Amino acid sequence: MTKVFLHNLGWITGVLVVLTAGLLLGARIPLRYNIRNLRVRWIPTALTALAFTAVIALLTVMLVFVSGMIRMTQMTGHPGNVLILDESANDEGFSNIPASDVGDLVNLPGLVRDGGRAWVSLETYLVVNQLLPHVQDGRPARRFLQMRGIEDVQMAALVHQMQLHPGGRWFSSAGVREIIGPKGQKITAIEAVLGEGIAREMARDRSPEELAQAQSPDTLLPGDTFSLGDRTWIVCGLMQSSSTTFDSEVWAKRSLAAGIFGKNTYTTVVARTPNAQTARQLSEYINKEYKKAAIRALPETEYFSSLQETNRQLLVAISFVTVVMAVGGVFGVMNTMFAAVSQRTADIGVLRLLGFSRRQILSSFLLESLLIALVGGAAGCALGSLSHGWTATSIISSNQGAGKFVVLRLVVDAGTLGAGMTLALAMGVLGGLVPAWRATRLRPLEALT
Amino acid sequence: MKLLVFILKNIRRNLLRSILTALGTMVLVVVVILVWSILWFLDQQTKEKTSNIKAIVTERWQLPSRMPLSYAPELRAGAVRRPEHVRPLDSMTWQFYVGSTEQGRFSRDTVLFVVATQPEKVLTMFDDLDTLPSDSPDRQQLQKAVQAMKSNRQGLIVGRERLEAINKRVGERVKVYGLSYKGIDLEFDIVGTFPEGRWNNLAVMDWEYLNGAVDAYNRRPGVRPHPMTERSLSIVWLKVPDMRSFTAVASQIASSPSFTNPQVKTETLASGTAAFLEAFRDLIWGMRYFLMPAVVVTLCLVIANAISLSVRERRKEFAVLKVLGFRPTHILGLVLGEALLLGVVSGLASAVGVYVVINHVFGGLKFPIGFFSTFYIPEQAMGWGLAIGAATALIGSLVPAWIACRVRVAEIFARVG
Repeated sequence: MTKVFLHNLGWITGVLVVLTAGLLLGARIPLRYNIRNLRVRWIPTALTALAFTAVIALLTVMLVFVSGMIRMTQMTGHPGNVLILDESANDEGFSNIPASDVGDLVNLPGLVRDGGRAWVSLETYLVVNQLLPHVQDGRPARRFLQMRGIEDVQMAALVHQMQLHPGGRWFSSAGVREIIGPKGQKITAIEAVLGEGIAREMARDRSPEELAQAQSPDTLLPGDTFSLGDRTWIVCGLMQSSSTTFDSEVWAKRSLAAGIFGKNTYTTVVARTPNAQTARQLSEYINKEYKKAAIRALPETEYFSSLQETNRQLLVAISFVTVVMAVGGVFGVMNTMFAAVSQRTADIGVLRLLGFSRRQILSSFLLESLLIALVGGAAGCALGSLSHGWTATSIISSNQGAGKFVVLRLVVDAGTLGAGMTLALAMGVLGGLVPAWRATRLRPLEALT
Repeated sequence: MKLLVFILKNIRRNLLRSILTALGTMVLVVVVILVWSILWFLDQQTKEKTSNIKAIVTERWQLPSRMPLSYAPELRAGAVRRPEHVRPLDSMTWQFYVGSTEQGRFSRDTVLFVVATQPEKVLTMFDDLDTLPSDSPDRQQLQKAVQAMKSNRQGLIVGRERLEAINKRVGERVKVYGLSYKGIDLEFDIVGTFPEGRWNNLAVMDWEYLNGAVDAYNRRPGVRPHPMTERSLSIVWLKVPDMRSFTAVASQIASSPSFTNPQVKTETLASGTAAFLEAFRDLIWGMRYFLMPAVVVTLCLVIANAISLSVRERRKEFAVLKVLGFRPTHILGLVLGEALLLGVVSGLASAVGVYVVINHVFGGLKFPIGFFSTFYIPEQAMGWGLAIGAATALIGSLVPAWIACRVRVAEIFARVG
């Protein structure tokens, strides 16, 4: 139902806008009359509009959250990339490709090559526990951190089209660097590159002493350190990873990360082909004809698109909450409009005697209800827009157990605001229609007596 | 009593408005109860217990946890090495076998997540199942299933939803093609189901059957040891009497030289659950501090609107009441009473309705958060519905009631004149 609504949002909005415009343009009863009535009954008008504001603000924030997650799954991955996992795995986290099986993958047909070198990135993806000794607000003392051990980071950057923010650099071929510890001692720190989202997230859980020395209170920056797996890690760069799942990852030298956390196999091989069609062809070739290793392949974009199950569940929940709250709001506006009709029975009688038709009376009351919806809805959208730029943690998953922890930035866009205003107007129409119809059924002389 | 009759008459006087307000209240209370039921359950799961604490031992650094099966005996004993060490009250191990009922096809309708454990622990260590009253039909049915599993190593207990999804019944045989244990396909006799609840989507098998199958696979000539041979143990569950014992057992395990590669960690179930739910932190925060207030505010506004409309229409009536000797507090009570009655009745009706419909018609609220897939409306929800209805009605009607009791007789009759 939600998909149908979102797919047809343009049509629904169009119909409602045309209806409103039609009512405005075709109104014979002056709009001033409605506005004056709304001002006279300002308390119920304001209360009803406020109820609209609450419903629409809530809808806006919830939609922004889900659309952020949908955007993340749609924007991650290159159309020409092929993701290779072990044959039995449906997710990187469960994949195990022995080292002996990856060597030949650079010889696959149809790969993009640069000076004879195939664009293939060999990776070990891990979810690891990071202990958080300084955590606040009663939160758990550890977090799950997504670590991507990379064999050749320059190649991984090419394959994943990843760039660093100015001031950063990729980790060295050794993957470690000597730094001076807090007590002046030499420490061999592991170099890591962080997604923007996880850098912000990790910055929150620093001790007051660490914060005092931090370059930024909001995010980790190159040169900052953190602890993980009983080792000290140093940030050497931040990835321009916004709106992708890589935003929540820590990248480091594969041999070091895999060694520390005890995963010595590869999980993922990402191979670049020229385009989406060749990516599909290569996937089919690997799945049907490649017999040298027990692996399976799928286009990278397809893999990330499959991680939509949480989004679907959230959309259903949001739709349910929104519909129920909207029904509550509709009852509210109905109350207001029924009261308006009963208070203005004499007005309606006079209008009818002056020659205004039933249709014009209906338009006038409907317009009044739409005005309340318009004001309340616009205020709700404005309130909901305050969530623009917020950061939220969540999870994206497929219906087969695969999933990734993500940090996303909320972006309020025109589509979300359009959905908010559409719902507000729809509530206005639904809530105003029955009272307006009742107004048209009043007989002029009876209304005046 | 007279006041109550008066209130009832007033509510009936504008029946349409009363019905619309009651319906508005009811639908909004539904949202509040659904959301609170989820939050309440999650809070219960992450609240540390003081007695009969369940602890989980998992791999320290990596997720999913994969420990050597050889860790099992020592971990189940709480790594006891000295006489003064604390021994857990009970324990079990979990290994995960994931498979499909159709070869080469892995979909929602074919997948089976099976926990391989000690059969008798289903009754003593599994959450919710260990607290089933001994005389309850659910418990007796489960006991039979466990007994059947103990006498038949291929026995399998499957959650109701999963059983329906794979289109099988108790008593039937099912072949499962291994995905997590590739090349190890197992045949099971379905010997029972779990009571309706959190185990709806899981299945449980005898760990000896799984480990026997792995051994058989490894004994085949010319075959390399199965990749899962080395590290197939996912979780060791321990039950300890209190927090002090938990701390002692956790320390025994941490200091044991046996668990170094990989290292392990011990935490209470509540703490482990909280860590898993951390990914949903902002979602839960949004439900608690954004969604709930927004619904309650909307509810207050709907009620305030209805009552203020009613007060506005009855100003003359309040003036007459004052002339007849009603004091402002009487009028205040009258208006508040009307709102309160509407709020309480519709709040309670909504709570009862949502309790019955969600728990007994839909079999729970399906909203997967972490490893919790189904939520139930607790009995406390009746109280919540009543309280929300009453509180929002009071808040929403306070200002209109105040306006009603401040009506000036002279002003009203001057206008009438």
